[in-house]
Amino acid sequence: MMKFNDTQLTEFNRLVSHYPEGKQKSALLPVLHLAQDTFGGWLSTETMDYVAELLHIAPIEVYEVATFYSMYNLKPVGKYMFEVCQTGPCMLNGCDNIIAYITDKLGIKAGETTPDGMFTLKTVECLGACGYAPMMQLGKTYREHLTKEKVDSIIDECRKNAAKNN
Amino acid sequence: MGVKLLLDKAHVEGIRTYDVYRREGGYRSVEKAFKMGPEAIVEEVKKSGLRGRGGAGFPAGMKWSFIAKPEGVPRHLVCNADESEPGTFKDRYLMEFLPHLLIEGLIVSSFALGSNATYIYIRGEYAWIVDILEHAIEEARANGFLGKNILGSGFDCEIYVHRGAGAYICGEETALIESLEGKRGNPRIKPPFPAIQGVWLRPTVVNNVETLAAVVPIINMGGEEYAKIGVGKSTGTKLMSACGNINKPGVYEIDMTISVEEFIYSDEYCGGIPNGKRLKACIPGGSSVPILPANLLLKTAKGETRYMNYESLSDGGFATGSMMGSGGFIVLDEDQCVVKNTYTFARFYRHESCGQCSPCREGTGWMEKLLLRLENGAGKLSDIDLLWDIQRKIEGNTICPLGDAAAWPVAAAIRHFRDEFEWHVFHPDEAVKRNYGLAHYADAIHVPVG
Repeated sequence: MMKFNDTQLTEFNRLVSHYPEGKQKSALLPVLHLAQDTFGGWLSTETMDYVAELLHIAPIEVYEVATFYSMYNLKPVGKYMFEVCQTGPCMLNGCDNIIAYITDKLGIKAGETTPDGMFTLKTVECLGACGYAPMMQLGKTYREHLTKEKVDSIIDECRKNAAKNN
Repeated sequence: MGVKLLLDKAHVEGIRTYDVYRREGGYRSVEKAFKMGPEAIVEEVKKSGLRGRGGAGFPAGMKWSFIAKPEGVPRHLVCNADESEPGTFKDRYLMEFLPHLLIEGLIVSSFALGSNATYIYIRGEYAWIVDILEHAIEEARANGFLGKNILGSGFDCEIYVHRGAGAYICGEETALIESLEGKRGNPRIKPPFPAIQGVWLRPTVVNNVETLAAVVPIINMGGEEYAKIGVGKSTGTKLMSACGNINKPGVYEIDMTISVEEFIYSDEYCGGIPNGKRLKACIPGGSSVPILPANLLLKTAKGETRYMNYESLSDGGFATGSMMGSGGFIVLDEDQCVVKNTYTFARFYRHESCGQCSPCREGTGWMEKLLLRLENGAGKLSDIDLLWDIQRKIEGNTICPLGDAAAWPVAAAIRHFRDEFEWHVFHPDEAVKRNYGLAHYADAIHVPVG
């Protein structure tokens, strides 16, 4: 059974302390982010049940939230997730070419993960970077003004980081 | 150069830190506000004519005056930083580069409303900005501007950052409140309005980031002085986030007296259209406001110059005008396809519909499918009328404005670009190979002077 360690529990308690007494359910969204970051980048039923237990709410209250918001992954994803925006302003600036290039280069379609579990490609809707299009989210940061060359160097960077961490 | 009230210090080195921000005159409005008292602050904001900068443009001072004050019930201010209207990235800029300006505005506004626990609801994708804001909050607390008995005023205030998780709908204030309570972002039926029963059924005011930041210059200069900037009911300055096919995409602070033509073509702002291309169309206030062809964008139907303010942009209503909205200014050059652009927005709204109301849940998906079919050259002429019919049946028939937001761009695209939709039907082979181009909108194209 996976559980938060002491550092993560301290963060959990900090998040819960932001809300009035008895309203700890309010911390659910931030706590699910913490859980997803901690337990492999996605939310298994086991993880969601654990969060429910910690917040003293019913498991269904966690499931209904986890299935509503697009940032929670309900199945395993690659070590690096390329979330490429495809809404209007990014489309006007050629995101279709970027998505096609990544598809070609990594051999996966949107929604798929490479067989080595390294990369997931996901198309997403507007991330609020319209002036810096085309763009993608990678982890906690945005990668903007994407070109094919930039995509190449991002892929290399990810591979290097993965090799370093192994 | 126009007047700058929000971004005037954005390029000062180190302005993100408390020390530099304070040295540059930051947090003066808090000291002044404590001397004025809550009622006087609300009065100044009313006098300023400040309108909500999130999109609806509702007078902020009036919204504040609606808050209920039942004995013994805590009240809350919630800052809406869920910025997710396509084309809009101004709040991100403000929070990323001037976090203390927002914190300062929040402290003054919290004092005016009597909120001892104030929340910033930020969209989940802006993860790195959460760290920037939390750091700024820590600095403000360390310097006595947050916590107990701030500056000896007797007023206690804490600010917490609440991170969302990817849902456009949470920019709607009652969905945001549900989300803040740890639930799905399903909008509530109003009444009761948040000012009476908001988060945890307590009186709540929800304001946009830019609105709350604007409280700082209003308190510093006085509401009447602020109202002198701008024109008519468009007072003060507005942040515009400009994107699409322009030379200088970015965030600009405008004083709402400049013309649309100047905004697009002047080097001070968008810097014109790349590669010498001509202007085809523009969505001036975020994806949900009506798209306008160049001829109706630069001049109103009456032939008057159109200006970058609430009244002028909406001149002519939806028949020949648009809206200021959130300030997400999206420019399309002559090589862009209006059908495809509308399709991406329809897909966006289908993806973001919460699913509560049938017209929106079913209608957004239906419109997306029809638009894709037309874009791919497989559409029928009757599809265009069907699209019109669907959008009309969504508008006004949903709990929250997402239905309207999904309907308006489709309606405006058909209203102004029907020939382009028909071309897709009559020339399916060409439609998949090339774009329709400029057609008769060319007669309205800006001709550079000299």
